[in-house]
Amino acid sequence: MILYIFTILLLLIIAPLLIGMIKSLKMFLLYKKPVSIFQPYATFNKLLIKEVIISHESSIITRIAPLLVLSPLLIVLLFLPPVVHGAYYIGFVDAFTIIGLISLSTFFLMLLGLDSGNAFGGMGSSREAFIASLVEPAMVLTIFSVGLMAKDLGVGNASINLATHFPIEHASSFLFAGISFFILLLAENGRLPIDNPETHLELTMVHEAMILDISGLYLAIIEMAVSIKFIVFASLFVTLFMPYGVNLIAPLAILVFVAKLILVSVVVALIEVNGAKLRLFKVPNLLGISIVFAFLSLITFYVLGA
Amino acid sequence: MIDFFIGLFMASFLIVLFSGRLYRLIFWYAFNSLALGVITILVGVEHIDNALVISGGLTLILKAGVIPFVLKNISQRFNLIREINPTVPIHYSIILIPAIIIFTLYLAEPMSSMIGVNSNYIAISISSFFLALILMIEHKSVAPKIIAFLMMENALFLLGTTATKGMPMFVELGIFFDVMMAIVIINLLFKEEHVK
Repeated sequence: MILYIFTILLLLIIAPLLIGMIKSLKMFLLYKKPVSIFQPYATFNKLLIKEVIISHESSIITRIAPLLVLSPLLIVLLFLPPVVHGAYYIGFVDAFTIIGLISLSTFFLMLLGLDSGNAFGGMGSSREAFIASLVEPAMVLTIFSVGLMAKDLGVGNASINLATHFPIEHASSFLFAGISFFILLLAENGRLPIDNPETHLELTMVHEAMILDISGLYLAIIEMAVSIKFIVFASLFVTLFMPYGVNLIAPLAILVFVAKLILVSVVVALIEVNGAKLRLFKVPNLLGISIVFAFLSLITFYVLGA
Repeated sequence: MIDFFIGLFMASFLIVLFSGRLYRLIFWYAFNSLALGVITILVGVEHIDNALVISGGLTLILKAGVIPFVLKNISQRFNLIREINPTVPIHYSIILIPAIIIFTLYLAEPMSSMIGVNSNYIAISISSFFLALILMIEHKSVAPKIIAFLMMENALFLLGTTATKGMPMFVELGIFFDVMMAIVIINLLFKEEHVK
């Protein structure tokens, strides 16, 4: 139980660190002078002391939606699979619950964008809805095929099954599911091929358009939600698709887990440096690739058993 | 381990089908050949067959190194159009490709039961053969068609390696020389395209 609480606290603490690391690594690779990797914490502190300005047009939703964006993600954090063998975990939660909670958070984010009353908010919300609706089927297929390979649909049990006896005979289906899930990780977190997290250019922004009117404490909450969403996806990817090192002793296993999270963020940073943003109407193509891979993973598992 | 590389082989086939840039196509061809070479070496080590190991090494050098380099060089020299959008729209291929894969996997089933060993490798190599055919159909210009031809050769090579535990050495060397000849002919074809 102590390990369980410690893991959650650790995830909460290092969540902004990963975002900061991606940003500073990207700047380093582009020959800029990199910002400190602790910059998100400083931003968070700054936003806490800033005053909150709410536009006259907005309703009560603007006040409650930031909290409702954050809280489903915090609940998801409790449901994540264990990182150390023998640690406590909540076993009855299956992947559909997690997907549902994440969509709830996305829903309130879209509502927040619509409520702000300016044109950008509506545009951002409609784009976010467009992407989220395409992510859903691929996500369900991927999680389903991983669950089949791990012989359990529950996330916690599946990760333990994978860690104890990895299905090496299903390596190819596993690889397809992994590729599919990684594309979904990029899409859901608004990373580069789908959405550029750094610009405020009206043609390209999706996530930034929705939170353009938010300030102060509410912006701090939204930024926190973004970093927690990234770490939720990264740790799901790490525990389901790289299930190594879970059986080590507790401090070492947690160290390996953090190293894997850092590896995922380095890969994301490398993809962001090397790729350009996709045009909005080409996003369905990328998510289509993800659907094809997820489907292929199911098919190779069923027909070939490979 | 072989399963993992077969997965990579098939994955690179799928990514090629969706990509619309010539250099990326060449890169994924090199990646595909890399996976193929590693598979061949692994099968050779498993069956203690030196000929297979040699042809795996040759695959790594020729198909993953020399041929992509030459192709990129040629296409740079002749200023080929690098934007090659597939004529089949991608949202149709999202439906089409899984359908074809399912069809071929079931098609390969009687054949694999006949051969017995490594049955799913045969199914995957036949389905990648069909995927290469789609790649050839969905592009209009010459360069992607040539990549499709080379990838089809890769799929056949995989079929030969996994189904029969390696063809005789002479046959494989012959195929390598054929591919090299094909590259020379491709050079001429590209020149033609350039003149047009």
